[in-house]
Amino acid sequence: MNIFFHELKAYRKSTIIWSISLVVIALFMFSMFPSISKDADNFKKILEAYPPVARKALGLSIDSITSLLGFYSSLVLLYVVLCGAIQAMNIGTSIISKEVREKTADFLLTKPVKRQKIMTSKLLAAVTSLMITNIIYIAGASLIAQLVKNKAFDYKIFFLLSLTLFLVQIMFMFLGIVVSVSVSKIKSVIPISISTVFGFFFIDMISSAIGDNATRYITPFKYYDGAYIIKNSAYEIKYLLIEIIFIVASILVSYIIYSKKDIHAV
Amino acid sequence: MNVIEIKNLTKTYGKSRGINDISFNVEEGEIFGFIGPNGAGKSTTIRTMLSLIYPTSGSVSIFGKDGIKYSEEIKKEIGYLPSEVFYYDNMKVIDLLKYSASFYKKDCKKRIYELAEAMNLDLNKKIDDLSFGNKKKVGIVQGLLHEPKLIILDEPTSGLDPLMQQKFFELLKEENKKGTTILFSSHILSEVQKMCDRVAIIKEGSLIKLEKISTLKENNHKSFKIETKDKVDMNYFKLDGISNLEVKENMVSFLFRGNVNLVMKKLATLELSNIWIEEPDLEEIFMHYYEKGE
Repeated sequence: MNIFFHELKAYRKSTIIWSISLVVIALFMFSMFPSISKDADNFKKILEAYPPVARKALGLSIDSITSLLGFYSSLVLLYVVLCGAIQAMNIGTSIISKEVREKTADFLLTKPVKRQKIMTSKLLAAVTSLMITNIIYIAGASLIAQLVKNKAFDYKIFFLLSLTLFLVQIMFMFLGIVVSVSVSKIKSVIPISISTVFGFFFIDMISSAIGDNATRYITPFKYYDGAYIIKNSAYEIKYLLIEIIFIVASILVSYIIYSKKDIHAV
Repeated sequence: MNVIEIKNLTKTYGKSRGINDISFNVEEGEIFGFIGPNGAGKSTTIRTMLSLIYPTSGSVSIFGKDGIKYSEEIKKEIGYLPSEVFYYDNMKVIDLLKYSASFYKKDCKKRIYELAEAMNLDLNKKIDDLSFGNKKKVGIVQGLLHEPKLIILDEPTSGLDPLMQQKFFELLKEENKKGTTILFSSHILSEVQKMCDRVAIIKEGSLIKLEKISTLKENNHKSFKIETKDKVDMNYFKLDGISNLEVKENMVSFLFRGNVNLVMKKLATLELSNIWIEEPDLEEIFMHYYEKGE
């Protein structure tokens, strides 16, 4: 438990900053909603003037954009999840690599504690940080949605949509962990996480534009389709399963690599 | 009883570094020196002992237990001070030491304050703000606070001022009196000479000599330096047991091992203007092993 609390404390500042930032993004995006919903007809006309490809790339569908849930899933969440993914990948990539970078691995690994236990504590601390982020974000976003709504909306769907933030974050976090145990030394985390996250984000945009379905399996951004959730008020089981398999595989790989890894002097 | 048993330990990396077939034992209660220049494999051996890295072949056993299988258990009784210490920066010294103590299931508070006082360390400063030497002190306290039975030191004195080195050595000797075994790795020979009972000399990844310090110094070599009236031919000193021979004008210096009477007879035939016969310090012996690779 000592490692868990130590790690949690180490992420405290960044968790708070990220959480607030996500709420601020939601606030900023939602602030446009009242004017859009008021002038729904005009806005639809403007959107129709956009080339269809551009509309698709941005994930905008003319019919849904003027409802709160449609606006939320296609505009607000797009940027919230993008930023959240960067946060998650940062944490994931950091938890193991920072010990090497800050040369504290010698301190930690000469203590009477198994490497598996170190990994577990760090993993739980990272997941806890993301959970805290999501609690703050969902609370903030719910409040904002109540303030800007034009008519009542289904809160269950709103909640399910919001929770895709966590689902996507967890995937990027584990991706980060696998990267950090596989590479011997990571000089700086941010370039890795930003380039990876944006890489997947652009795959998402391009595949939306060309309407390619195969890429849905590749990019986590595509796993939880807003339109499907709004329509069925549920996630697509197939993608939930893929995510679970990916998580289990990542845990196995990172535990095995980490417990056998040589920790070199730096 | 052997606290450390290293058998045929080999660790190869892709490149040139590594260690090759190293075997030695460290007995309970001794201060064991481990010397060699930078890059000879000292740290690699130590890191393998602590299962920070895993051996290619061979084994390490500590307290009679396999070093990898029982690593968690063994580490309860090991205090380790790495050559370069870097700790979680945005922590206070006392918080780091408490974090360190939290890994051991005993109350280390009293010991922390004792050690901090002995090392003159301010516990309320942020580690960020400490000088290199003071960080090293944090490392020392961190390594000793749980009263380990085995202390492993990897070049521990760099960055400490001479006064602190003295304090630190006293501290170690005190621990040693209580029965603590100490493995002391260094490339500074004088400190090894001061502290250790036995010494292992490592060169390019292989162990080349394992000897008591006293034996190394006593029965092996004497250092001769003479000044002659006339120039002497180098061949004049071709004698079994003479090594590191240097002739510069009228000055001749060499190391001698063996029956001193033989050398004295040789010297008696020369017209000398001055003579120095000294116990060589470890440095000279060390260079001797290094150059000749005996």
